[in-house]
Amino acid sequence: MTLEIVLVVAGALFSIGLFGVLARRNIIAVIMSLELMFNGVLVAAIGFSRFTAPAALMDASGGITEAAVRSALTGHMFAVFVISIAAAETALALALVFAFYRAKQSVEITDAAEMKN
Amino acid sequence: MNAAFDSGPIATLAFYLASALTIASALIVVTQRDLVRAVVALAMSFVGVAAIYFILNAEFIGVVQLLVYVGAISILIAFAVMFIGDLANAGTLSQSRLISAVAAILLLATVIFVAYNTDWTDIKDVTDADAVAGLTGRYEVAGTSDDKNVISAVNSDVEDSRGGALVDGSSHIGPALISDFVLPFETLGLLLIAALIGALLVIRGRQKDDAA
Repeated sequence: MTLEIVLVVAGALFSIGLFGVLARRNIIAVIMSLELMFNGVLVAAIGFSRFTAPAALMDASGGITEAAVRSALTGHMFAVFVISIAAAETALALALVFAFYRAKQSVEITDAAEMKN
Repeated sequence: MNAAFDSGPIATLAFYLASALTIASALIVVTQRDLVRAVVALAMSFVGVAAIYFILNAEFIGVVQLLVYVGAISILIAFAVMFIGDLANAGTLSQSRLISAVAAILLLATVIFVAYNTDWTDIKDVTDADAVAGLTGRYEVAGTSDDKNVISAVNSDVEDSRGGALVDGSSHIGPALISDFVLPFETLGLLLIAALIGALLVIRGRQKDDAA
């Protein structure tokens, strides 16, 4: 298990989500694909925090020091904040979908064209 | 790769299994015509990602993933699917699906190319004194023994017993949240309140205003 394969998994997750966002017509399905993209980014962040640390933060024998742990923790904090914001985003997006459905009786993304032209 | 970042064969096998589960479920999410099944696949995908977090020694993030994504977001989306029963043509893909697939595959190819053609060890070879000072912050530089600075291990029980970079990472997240990251943390509270109020306002509609 190396950083490269973690990045490939993260990229695959992000690409699948991107395909869903672009190709799906149902708005709820688009939101689901968006969550997949969030998860891809977070896997990459956790992978970087797991596999990279400044060499200067290692001790003489190549072991991990407390400072390296703190340094690696930045990726974890990033993930915590992104997860929280994604939760808020999902709640708001679903509220918008409900409002849109109430107005148009539809959840087709092509029907959301009021701002067009 | 540094010896400290090696992981055992069992962890590697578990990682491949979790990745296969995640990606297979994700493919179901974007192709399944039945939205309820897509939601279930989405939850499975989230579980797989949580397993990846556990394997990558991010236990706290894995637990948060299980609680927030599997426990809350999946359920929220499932409720949305059930409330909006308009599933007649939920599975249809848009006409640009071919272009979408090409774009996604190109992106994946780019990611793979960059991942395997970048020397990630560059990141680890920071020996410049100023950069080390910036990275370590309040940590004390133990001495300039030979050619590079050596940081003293403040906590000697953070040994690399499991082959992981974060043997005891979870216990550091709480203190970090109320010291280094206190401003983003408080801002996040504000954002959650704003999202809560905003969602309520949007979903409440205009019936009350019309009546008044």
